[in-house]
Amino acid sequence: MNVASKLPGSSATTLADRPMQSAKPPFLGFGLGLRHQHYDEILDGNPDIDWFEVISENYMIPGGRPLRTLDRICERYPVVMHGVSLSIASTAPPNFEYLQGLKDLAGRVEPKWISDHLCWTGVHGKNLHDLLPIPYTSEALDHVVSRVQLVQDFLGRAIVLENVSTYVQFNNSEMTEWEFLSELSRRSGCWLLFDINNVYVSAFNHGYDPMTFLNGIPADRVVQFHMAGHSHMGTHIIDTHDHPVCEDVWDLYVAALKRFGRVSTMIERDDNIPPLDELLEEVRRTREIADKVLPATGRQAG
Amino acid sequence: MSNSAGTSDFARQQAEFQRGILDGDDTVLAEIFDSPRERRETLFGVYRYAYGSRLVDAMRNDHELLHLYLGDEMFDEMGYAYVKAHPSEHPNLRWFSQGLPDFLKLNEPYSHHPVLSDLAALEKALNDAFDAVEAPVVELSAMTGFAPEAWPDLEFVAHASASRLDLATNASAIWLALKNEETPPDADVMEQPARLLIWRQDTTPMFRELPTEEAMMWDEAANGVPFSVLCEMLATYDDPDGAAARGAGYLHGWITSGLLAGVSVGT
Repeated sequence: MNVASKLPGSSATTLADRPMQSAKPPFLGFGLGLRHQHYDEILDGNPDIDWFEVISENYMIPGGRPLRTLDRICERYPVVMHGVSLSIASTAPPNFEYLQGLKDLAGRVEPKWISDHLCWTGVHGKNLHDLLPIPYTSEALDHVVSRVQLVQDFLGRAIVLENVSTYVQFNNSEMTEWEFLSELSRRSGCWLLFDINNVYVSAFNHGYDPMTFLNGIPADRVVQFHMAGHSHMGTHIIDTHDHPVCEDVWDLYVAALKRFGRVSTMIERDDNIPPLDELLEEVRRTREIADKVLPATGRQAG
Repeated sequence: MSNSAGTSDFARQQAEFQRGILDGDDTVLAEIFDSPRERRETLFGVYRYAYGSRLVDAMRNDHELLHLYLGDEMFDEMGYAYVKAHPSEHPNLRWFSQGLPDFLKLNEPYSHHPVLSDLAALEKALNDAFDAVEAPVVELSAMTGFAPEAWPDLEFVAHASASRLDLATNASAIWLALKNEETPPDADVMEQPARLLIWRQDTTPMFRELPTEEAMMWDEAANGVPFSVLCEMLATYDDPDGAAARGAGYLHGWITSGLLAGVSVGT
């Protein structure tokens, strides 16, 4: 069952809203998620990759080879930081130790931007290490807006938030996911990471048209695309990020390019990591499709 | 929005969702929809399954050789028992399996097989050395800068990646066999504990077994005991005339292995 929109006109904006005004992050081109299996091949070769996204938590460690490798990658490529544990929508108190670790890593990496997910990962001192769904209520929206503001103030920069794949919908939701994301971005000033696979997965799981989601996101707020694969279970899809990008998601990528323009795009593989060449082929395809859909002028929305 | 207990609906819902995953409580199901193609129990089950499976995967990753030693079925059974007993409290999965050696030491049936706890402790120590904080490494050439009369007062700082571990079993021999893809020896409790020194040489985690005398000297040196006192201790342990030479020999080995982060003349 799809959740009907009950978002009241413009009254959702409160006096407390302080959208962080920040320059839109630059277009970086076509990138890849950095994985340790490819460290040597990347450092020894010179793969045709415009930029890398690194999982922040993998480098929020004291020292050793991962951090040394990251330093070398940062010397050669633009890097963005992508976290999985910010838990921005959690009702637990903010974890300032985590935020300080993130800020310290950002000081080292000087990333083009810092992203995480619109989700929560635990409450009451527990961490479930999953990207858990939220009800799309005005109460949740107010809470997340205030958390984004807190995090942005702490980090001294606007953050980027990604839509997650979800398997359940709450019956107390008052608006759609895309309305929630749009309002969150407008009120807090955060940018959006549009995971095209996740839109596809959630749309299938909840029975709506992914184009409705896509068309519901403001074109000028999206600064990054994720492209990934998933596991189809027949009645539902699980976002495993362990397969090549499927053809339906490539089709949705074309539609996303038409709506959002030239957006930094990357291939995100989290498990069942194939040889680098296989992923480079997918990176090449993101570039070729973008060149075909958005020829010459290099149009960028916003 | 708050309910009668003063908790926000959002917070209450998250607590119920989490209980649904951690404890199998179904309360939260009343607040979620069936999908057009699937029942809510199955859809919520995706989160329930992913929780344990992700954490056990992280343990397999951290304890590759313990996994090899136990096999998939026994490792996973042990892993799920650990997950149940030790819900993760840290945002970084890196630290999730830190309590595994103690868990295996203290809980049946694993406590009846002390080699399991020892093997886990060795893997943990190597993991900790792998990403330990960076520190400068003392070079042999630095030692030539100290006048002979300064040597008795020399004090040493262990590299941040270095740690000591005493194992009651032959877990290190089992570790080596598994690493070399050989059949491991039968687990055995030793007459004397194996005194291991674990550290990172450049980027590679290493360990070696120390003679009892060297282990004693290392432990005291790492506590800031000066070289002359270390030599006096060696003299009580073995041939007093050769104590200084033995001490200098151990020291040479530590420096060439990158085990020291500092040498200075104490006050």
